[in-house]
Amino acid sequence: MSATTLLLQIAANPQSGVALPPHWGWWVILYFFFGGLAAGSYFIATMLELVGDPRDDDAVRLGYLLAFPLVVLCGLLLVVDLGVPLRFWHMLVQSERPPLPMFKSWSPISVGSWVLFIFAFFAFVSFVGVLVQEGRLRWRPLVAADRWARSRPRPFALLWGILGAFFGFFLAGYTGVLVTGTSIPFWHNARLMGALFLASAASTSYALLILLLMRRGRTHADSTVEKLARADRLAIVLEIVVLAIMLVLLGGVARPMIAGGFGVVFWLGVVIVGLLLPLAFHWSGRVGPASAERRATLAAACVLVGGFLLRFVVVMSPQWPGVPLWYL
Amino acid sequence: MAKGFYTDTTICIGCKACQVACHQWNQLPAEEGGQRELTGDSYDNTGRLSALNWRHVKFIEQIPESREQTGFLQGSRWLMMSDVCKHCVRAGCLEVCPTGAIIRTEFDSVFIQQDVCNGCRACISACPFGVVDVGEDGKAHKCTLCYDRLQHGMEPACAQACPTDSIRFGEVTDLMALADARAAELKAQGVNGYVYGKEDIVGGLNAFYVLVDEPHVYGLPDRPELPSENVGTGFALSAAAAAALAIGGVVSFRKDRMDGFATEEDARTNDGPRRLADPDGGSGEGRP
Repeated sequence: MSATTLLLQIAANPQSGVALPPHWGWWVILYFFFGGLAAGSYFIATMLELVGDPRDDDAVRLGYLLAFPLVVLCGLLLVVDLGVPLRFWHMLVQSERPPLPMFKSWSPISVGSWVLFIFAFFAFVSFVGVLVQEGRLRWRPLVAADRWARSRPRPFALLWGILGAFFGFFLAGYTGVLVTGTSIPFWHNARLMGALFLASAASTSYALLILLLMRRGRTHADSTVEKLARADRLAIVLEIVVLAIMLVLLGGVARPMIAGGFGVVFWLGVVIVGLLLPLAFHWSGRVGPASAERRATLAAACVLVGGFLLRFVVVMSPQWPGVPLWYL
Repeated sequence: MAKGFYTDTTICIGCKACQVACHQWNQLPAEEGGQRELTGDSYDNTGRLSALNWRHVKFIEQIPESREQTGFLQGSRWLMMSDVCKHCVRAGCLEVCPTGAIIRTEFDSVFIQQDVCNGCRACISACPFGVVDVGEDGKAHKCTLCYDRLQHGMEPACAQACPTDSIRFGEVTDLMALADARAAELKAQGVNGYVYGKEDIVGGLNAFYVLVDEPHVYGLPDRPELPSENVGTGFALSAAAAAALAIGGVVSFRKDRMDGFATEEDARTNDGPRRLADPDGGSGEGRP
């Protein structure tokens, strides 16, 4: 662990911390993970739709089909996490002056609530669009609306796609900024956490799409799967770079995450399994199973496991032992 | 008209009358039905501020390891400090609260409206002083500066109960003058007294202290920052990452474009420029 020691020595100058843990437990960890997947599969689908070719349409539809149910799940997780769940609408509406909106541009959690809400709208429209396209929804007004929307000129589609992807990117990144906006030293000083979560959201979503496409009979050599894998590699490389810079800048402040039991999960689960192994599977035929097919599947599975463990150690490590590991 | 507390820690005797008065006025129940666990390392058994303890007298028992006493007070000293919400001029909890439950009152105090709070707990980790806590009802709780008493021209219960006037209530500017005078007096006596809570501490604290040791000795942050300090940078760096990912995605997705160019051209002539305008919505796989 000499790398750890080295990083601990490059001590940043953090604020001294006596802040209390917010008791964000498994609902929040799951929200961070599935929120990344919802947002990621949506912006990947959008990019693929805008610049891909017709052979990618399956993946595009899959991305849109995943995004909406996942974002609904996220909403439920957030509501369950509240101390008073039935007051979830206080995030969006001034409870004393309805229907005036409740919005604070300087509060990440307030901005995030709105972004989740708006993103859910985009995801819903795209979800319904796919169902109509696939003939699974035949309600006439919907079919007519779908035909109308799809006959708009190209700039309209482009604008819609870019807006939706923007909110997707925002949703994937703000969860990292959310922890930066606290007084817990590790979180507060991790200015790159949003960027890290974004890269991880993209990479886990690529992995999820690859896994599902392969389950549907696509092979690793299929052109869409290849494109997704190529993009995933870039996302993983970005994630490694961002993580490395973040750790160097944090120095000893990152101690809760990189030392002790959480350190084992972080170095083994996040860094080796989640980041280095997938790259090794992609780049070297000698690592892992002999069949390229199984290597691709394994790489994607590793990315998903690593992405989940990343959320776990980031959320839990600075709160422990004040907040037990199994805290919901 | 900012109202607040000036707590002179040098004359606190650790009687905890302020804690009791606070519990009584605000009808805060005992923890665990009064079955208190001992902290084991201090005569103080409250531990810290919490949803049920809005005042907490900290005991800082500076006793040398050897327990040797060489003359009066030599080598050992007990510092006592009645901790409370600082009602910050720039309050982190108020800043992050997404529901508008946390407000600044007409007395410039920071108040949590219990009928609005939905228990998201953002304020808890936002507070640089570890003051706000979540209660068993799932909502955030802390000192109200006895908002109800203030509205009727009374002073907060803790300040009224304090037998040594260690806790004083009043106009912040008046109190600050008192504190400055006290710090100067201490300095003249050869004690390093100073005011904690001027503008350098998150824009100023409406509940401030005269201390005689480093802030962290009292469990106060030496250099607190507002939670929002790094949020702008965080968003900017996220935007940069998003741009990098978008470029990475587009590059990866277009790399096959040339191979699929003929297909694309076909699709163009058949369906017009927009692929998905294709009314039959057939799968891309099926196309020529």
